[in-house]
Amino acid sequence: MNLRRATLSGPVAPPPRGILAALLHHPSGRWGVVLGAALAAMAVAGPWVVAHPPNVPDYAAALRPPGSGYWLGTDATGRDQLSRLVDGARRSLGGALAVSVAITLIGLIVGTLAALAGRWVDAALMRFVDVIMALPGLIVAFAVIGLLGPGYVNLLIALIAADWAYKARIARACAFDAVRSPAAEVSRQFGVPEWRVVLHHVLPPVFWPLLVLGTLGLGGQIAAISAFSFLGLGVQVPHAEWGAMLADTRFLFTVAPWLLLGPSACILLSVLASNLLGEALRDLATPEGRS
Amino acid sequence: MGRALVMRLGQAVLAAFGASLLVWLMLPLAPGDPVDMILNAQRVEEPTDQHIAALRDRFGLDRPLWQRYLVWIGGVVQGDFGLSWRTGEPVLSGLMRRLPATLQLVGLSFVISVAWSLGLALVAARWAGRWPDRLVLAYTRLLAATPSFVLALLVLQFVVVGMGIGLVLSGGAGATLIIAAAILGIDRAAGWTQLLRAGLLEHLARGPADVAKARGARPGRVLAIYALPAALLPWMTALGISLGGLIGGAPILEMIFTWPGIGEHVLTALSVRDVPVIQAFVLIAVLAYVAASLVVDAMAIMLDPRMRHARPA
Repeated sequence: MNLRRATLSGPVAPPPRGILAALLHHPSGRWGVVLGAALAAMAVAGPWVVAHPPNVPDYAAALRPPGSGYWLGTDATGRDQLSRLVDGARRSLGGALAVSVAITLIGLIVGTLAALAGRWVDAALMRFVDVIMALPGLIVAFAVIGLLGPGYVNLLIALIAADWAYKARIARACAFDAVRSPAAEVSRQFGVPEWRVVLHHVLPPVFWPLLVLGTLGLGGQIAAISAFSFLGLGVQVPHAEWGAMLADTRFLFTVAPWLLLGPSACILLSVLASNLLGEALRDLATPEGRS
Repeated sequence: MGRALVMRLGQAVLAAFGASLLVWLMLPLAPGDPVDMILNAQRVEEPTDQHIAALRDRFGLDRPLWQRYLVWIGGVVQGDFGLSWRTGEPVLSGLMRRLPATLQLVGLSFVISVAWSLGLALVAARWAGRWPDRLVLAYTRLLAATPSFVLALLVLQFVVVGMGIGLVLSGGAGATLIIAAAILGIDRAAGWTQLLRAGLLEHLARGPADVAKARGARPGRVLAIYALPAALLPWMTALGISLGGLIGGAPILEMIFTWPGIGEHVLTALSVRDVPVIQAFVLIAVLAYVAASLVVDAMAIMLDPRMRHARPA
């Protein structure tokens, strides 16, 4: 469990071809797209497909091994493991996505504002960002949960608090150059209003690096959500989440070893998918990575 | 060099002060009346007025905010983090009693991690592009996608229980420590291996290494003399930065292996919102992290002339 800080070097811009086509041509991006699409389909469509309600116990069917009716077996209270895996996908993947989007937006807004305002607003915001960045992300997340108490929404807030500062710093660095770029200067000379200059010449060059970093960070968010839920600080009973499901089964090693495999595989595959996607996006977005 | 060191030190002091302010703010910022939180943490159902007044007085809740910060920071400097809301014992002694076990775990896993990633990265770079390199890359991809607690559960299930060496774990603290530290270290080593491999390849592609190769130096020698020393320094800086992840990742492994470190203590504090204990843990972890990255950066400044003129990032 860790929040890795991804780094980028050099300028970042969208690939010339369509983004999906470019990803499908990239050797590891292809696998990222396939895996990611499968997991996303499971999270979105899954709950209508599965045969059993995810949260209703059925003690008569407790701890069934995988077989017909219960493809992945049942847990200690007879709930269908497959249904819970599918139901948990929404919390693990959806939560990570929500955190990444929120971090990107906050970074975009704070960074662009600092670069546009300049002077003391810039200095004050960036000193604050410096202090937050000097703190290890996991510890910040622990502190915010300590402040707000355990819970799924609180966990998401904690992860946002732990990781927004780095995005703000990157956004500010990109926006600082973009605000003073020749294209922006010329537009101003021609009397284009400042908000249109920002929309056309400042936001795009800030957005791309943040998108790449956001995708690279997605795996860390998925791992963090499952780790905190495993510790009982995230998703609460009776709701299913992959890390929380692992916590439920960790005393059933010898009785029901199959319960461990599903959630482990789901966590591993989704972190892998977002790592592959993020690396491919980084390759495509930096000039030397394009071939 | 002196100037760069002083600036870096100033940055660390600013970070430490900012962190102390943020950590202290946890108390007044926490939603709800602190007295309710204390009573909740102590699991008192129906408190008397007297009890509440005594609590307000004991934890200094009636004073103005700035006074409370000064009192708090004054105590912290002397190692007094106040009393645990849950147990009423001094926070610091509760943490200190459990700290050595955690330091053992984190220290051993750090050593394992460094050794493991150094070996793997050297193998990958020596046979770059060939099968050992591809094997190492696939391995690091897989492990980088496995959170340490998932790896711990899988190892417990399929290696320790599955191979019938479960008795090893009941054999004593030593065996538990080694297994837990190995899992934490090997999991963390995946990212570190990728980082060092990339650095080694970068330096292998540069002029000096090319000249040595053209001169007919053996590949292992080129790697050891022209790539490793140059790639090692930035890598060590990165290790210092990710120490925070190791400290933060320890509690979850302590819980799985019932290792008596601060992890379990802090998790209990988190679940009942025992704010003084959480404050102390966060502040100590942050200070350790700030100090570690300061030492690493100071080393880099002293060893690498280019760092002396670089503006602190």
